[in-house]
This record gives sequence, C-alpha cells and structure tokens, in this order.
Amino acid sequence: MHRGDHYPRPAYPEAFVVIRTATGICILLILLCCCAGCTGTAPASSPQPVTSSADDFSTWNLTVNGTTQSVYTLDKIRKLPATTGNGFAVSTVGIKYGPYTCKGVLLSDLLTLSGGISPGDQAWISAPDGYLWVFDYEQVQGKGFITFNEDLKEIPSPPLEILLMYEQDGKPLSYNDGGPLRVAIISDEKGVVTEGSAWVKWVDKIEIKKK
Amino acid sequence: MSATRIIWMFVSFFLIVLLCSTAGCSSGVQQPKTVLKVVPAGSLLQPFDEVEKAFEAQHPGVDVQIEGHGSIQAIRQVTDLHRPIDVVAVADASLIPDLMFRTDPTTGANFTDTYTPFARNAMVIAFTNKSKYADEITPENWYQVLSRPDVRVGISNPMLDAAGYRSIMVALLADRYYQNATLFPVLIGSHFTPPLGPQVTAGVATVTLPEVLRPSDEKLVIRDGSIFVLSNLEAGGIDYAFEYQSVAEGHDLRWVSLPPEVDLSSPDYAGEYGKVRVILGFQRFSAIGQDRTGQPIVYAVTIPNNAPNRELAQEFADVVVQKAKIGGKGWPALLN
Repeated sequence: MHRGDHYPRPAYPEAFVVIRTATGICILLILLCCCAGCTGTAPASSPQPVTSSADDFSTWNLTVNGTTQSVYTLDKIRKLPATTGNGFAVSTVGIKYGPYTCKGVLLSDLLTLSGGISPGDQAWISAPDGYLWVFDYEQVQGKGFITFNEDLKEIPSPPLEILLMYEQDGKPLSYNDGGPLRVAIISDEKGVVTEGSAWVKWVDKIEIKKK
Repeated sequence: MSATRIIWMFVSFFLIVLLCSTAGCSSGVQQPKTVLKVVPAGSLLQPFDEVEKAFEAQHPGVDVQIEGHGSIQAIRQVTDLHRPIDVVAVADASLIPDLMFRTDPTTGANFTDTYTPFARNAMVIAFTNKSKYADEITPENWYQVLSRPDVRVGISNPMLDAAGYRSIMVALLADRYYQNATLFPVLIGSHFTPPLGPQVTAGVATVTLPEVLRPSDEKLVIRDGSIFVLSNLEAGGIDYAFEYQSVAEGHDLRWVSLPPEVDLSSPDYAGEYGKVRVILGFQRFSAIGQDRTGQPIVYAVTIPNNAPNRELAQEFADVVVQKAKIGGKGWPALLN
C-alpha cells in the first residue's frame, strides 16, 4: 500500500514551496558552519573543566580527633544536622571570592560529637595539600574574626559561625572549589566578608588540641 | 520572477547574514590568545601591573594573567597545588631553592633549577598626615614616637605575609641597635596575653608566636595582608605601619627610613640580621618549617620547569629584570 493513499500531499501554493526550499538550504548551510567549529570552541588555554574523577569523593573521609575519634564519609556528614548561611571571603591581596550560599555542618557540632571544646582549647584543621589553620575557642564560638563590607571596609562583626561546607550555591562543592569539604565563615547577613586564610579547602582532618 | 531566482535571493541573503554574524567569532577562535599565568608576591602587584601592560602591548596575542599571593603561597601554586604557572616572583629569594629545588613527583624533574634575584627592599615606617605626631617623627626618633601610649601601630600577619615576620624582626633589631631592651615589648610583645618576650640564646634573639595572633589591646593591629593594614592606616584606624618602602611609595604614603642595621635592606648587615629569629605559631604549610631568620630582603623570579609557555615566560621574566633596573613608582630598589 502506498502511503500517499492514506496521507495525500496537500496542494501548497508555489510561493510557499519556494520559500520552504530556500529556508531549508539556509538551515543546512548554518548547520555546516556550526559543525566546522565556528561557534564557540574553547581556547586551548581555558581552565581545565572539572573532571568527574576529581569529584569522585567515594574514598574520601574526614577524621575528627578529640577525646574520641570519629571518621566520617561524605554521606555520613550529609546526614548530620545541616546549617545554611552567607559566606564571602577575601584573599590577602584583596581578591574577593563569593558571595556564596553555604550549606554544611557546623564545626562546633562536629567537635561536640568528638568530646567538645573548652576555653583555651584549639581546633587544628588541615588538608592533604599540606595546609593547616588553627582556630581558638573564641573563634569556634564565632568571635574574634575581622569582617569587611563588600567594599572591603572594616565593619563590626555580626554573629558568625564556622561551617564545614559541602554545598555551595545549591550544588555539591566541587574539587576545584575545595570540595568535598571546605571551611566557610558564615553569617545570617549578606555581604559580610571575612579573611580567606581560614577558609581551608579539601579538609580531611580536624584535631582538638587541649589547653 | 522564477522560483529558482527567489531561492537564490533567499540563499544569498542568509549567507550575508551568516557571514556578518560569524565574522567576529572566526577571528576570535582561529587566533586565541595565549594565556601567560604569572603569580607574584603581593608587594609586586603594582609594578607587575605595569609589566603586564607593556608585555601585552608588545605581544598582542598574549593575555598576561596576574594572580597575587603571599610568597610561600605563590610557590605552593606550583609545588603543592600543581597548577600550570608560567612565572613565579617572590619577596624572599631564599624560598625558591628551599621549596622548588626538589623533585616534582609528577614529572621526575625539579620544580625549578634556577632563579634570578632582581630587586631588594627595605622596611620603613609608613604614615599619613592624619597620623598622631606626623610632624614630629624622624628617622632618628621613630621608635620613641611609636612607643607613645596613644599611638596605634599596624603589621600584617606573620603567618601569612613575609612583611609581617619582617616587622617583628625590625622591632627586635631596633632593640639591639638602640640598646633599649624595652623597645620590642613596648612596640609588639606586651600587646599579647601572655606577653611575647624574646629568648636570647648564643646572641640570637628569638620570638615564638602563639598559634592565634590576637593582640590583647588596641595599640597593635594585625591584619592578614598589607592592603588591609594600609587601608586601616588611610582610614585613621592606625597611625603607623611597618611596611616595605616600595609599597609605601606606591601608595603615596609618607614614610621614615630606618637605619640599615635595622631595615633588612643591606647585604653588609646580613650577619646582624641573622641574630634575630621568629618562630611562627604553627606550620601552616607542610612544605616549609616555622623558623624565619633575619636576612636582607631580596626579590627573585623563576620559571617552573613545567611552565606551559617557557619562552614567553622567559621573555616576561627578562622584562621584569629590565624594568627593575629602571625602577619607578612601586618598584622595589635596584639590586646592587
């Protein structure tokens, strides 16, 4: 059976047929140009895209050493009570990073689960790239940080908290951004900038040093 | 008009539109700019901005991207973070052999094998017209002015900035030079709880810093980087800042020079500088220890062995060395 028997070709006007044919040829030409690489090949020197292997955190874990030792996988961290806040950092030479919406676990909560921190104690937070930063008891309580507004003018510090961030702006924290877990100093207020030296990337170890 | 003619008119029109819309695209894609990644110490940002403009003018196909860090952090971009960097320039030449003359496990070769010292600098006391006693301070009485109880002084964080631990060294050297053992405590040591006091062993004065550097009163202000110390100075939050001479000049600040026995500028006094030592509160980077001993301030530039654009990087480094010889606003001094 011929298909035309059931779906007869409509009788289009000649001008319509001509325009349709011309448009078809033009679309073909555009497609050919695109395939030739005319539209948007990234320069060779562009930053490397995030690779899937770098963001495979299945073998990663966090060790917290206090009076007890706790080891967390990323799934286990994500099952702890989460906090969300505004984070915004500045480097020692004045480069701003953020603002971000940061989600993660409070450092104080993690420390409590490993025996807690008392006045005079410190939390030593480190990463496999060899970076270490030390927070004292006051800082773990959110006090003693220098804060700036978005123009990097110093402002009185609003209430702050130290977060171990695993989600940034609603997305899992990528390796390039310090994932799976990065320190963030957060505030309920937007536009509060803190010194970036404390924002340790790729955190995998937290130690409570007793006084 | 025939159907064929109409078709060809349409095709011609679309081709013209297509050519116009892709004209910019073609030139951008076929000739992408080569990115030259340069990582200098923070105190070199102003002069390197000048080098960037000059270099890009000479090389229209090159995009120089400058990313400032503290000197150690600048080197770590190559050694610990394994980023493809073309040029590294630091405010402490000794860091390059210490941290980069070792094997890169990813290539089997050293991170670098050579470096070029290109400038020196001096520590000075920077201030503004708003600073208390701005009309009184001189190179002779600076330490007396800074010791006054109502004068506020700023330094950058020694954990993060070479200018920070060098500020502490200057106070220790001033202690010795002026034979006034109360100078270091009055300027720095007594503003912490417990106070920081130098321990003198075999003629070397050593200060050990606490893990968290938080002054106990408002006389001493510590900020992460020089730019925050200087913005505090310009806003009137502090009266005086320990700073590199080139940075003070670059920011159009007033400054007083210090005796060469104190200012860490002169190789002639290297032996004297070596008699002061700062031990940082913790080992921030596993690659380098906490111990910093006084020595003349020398800037150096190097090209990592895995630099993506070695020839261009060498050209850039050559321009840095040449411009350093000419000098200018914000440039550290000519290396003798």
